[in-house]
Amino acid sequence: MHNRLAMVRAERKVSRQSLAEAVGAHYQTIGYIERGEYNPSLDLALRIAGFFRLPVEALFSLEPFRPLTDEVYGRTS
Amino acid sequence: MTTRQLDRVTRYDRRMVQIMNNPAGRPLYATAARRRGLVAAHIALTAALLAVLLGGIAERLPWLILGGVVVLLPLWCFATGAINGCTRGLLELRARMLDERQLADRHRVQARAHRLSVAGLFGAVVALGAIGAVQGEFRSAALLPVLVVVLVTLWLMPLWTAGLTARDEMTDDVAGL
Repeated sequence: MHNRLAMVRAERKVSRQSLAEAVGAHYQTIGYIERGEYNPSLDLALRIAGFFRLPVEALFSLEPFRPLTDEVYGRTS
Repeated sequence: MTTRQLDRVTRYDRRMVQIMNNPAGRPLYATAARRRGLVAAHIALTAALLAVLLGGIAERLPWLILGGVVVLLPLWCFATGAINGCTRGLLELRARMLDERQLADRHRVQARAHRLSVAGLFGAVVALGAIGAVQGEFRSAALLPVLVVVLVTLWLMPLWTAGLTARDEMTDDVAGL
């Protein structure tokens, strides 16, 4: 499973600790999810998405995410 | 359970989580090499404690037992606390204080420790059987010490396994917010 958690968390300036407390997880778990070393359950994925007020598919995907610049500006080359 | 069941959390649970996540001891187990050293020290202290206790009982030397316990037990407790700290209380905290990833890690550690314990027991049985076959008899006086060592090994194998499989601390890139 692929995710954009690290990018979204940095963009929103949320620490791992505060995200972990908000979703009822350990801060190391957030780090392992970001590094792709742990795939969260649907329950935890939905809690994380709910915290950022984003649809779950904006954060987690079975396919690799396209680079954000490609999505916003389209591929130029 | 996928996330912590916070409605049943007691003051003891919160205190234990604080202790297990206390950053003060992190330099002790910051790297894999240090964690291996910590587990090796714990195994050596456990062996020394067992030797002092079993030797003291066999030789009827109460002062040896007392002296050994006074010197070794605090060091053993310190090493145990450090290993529990490096696993963030993976085996020490109640299940309701662990999240889904920690519970999965706990199950993985217990399964691995079980496999190691069974392999160790198998080796011990083969070795004792071979010694008995060579000597023509098995001394019954050896039964109690062997059982004590087996008991302690079974008890502590999950802790050693958890210490060896713990991972490095991640720095929080947005810390302080």
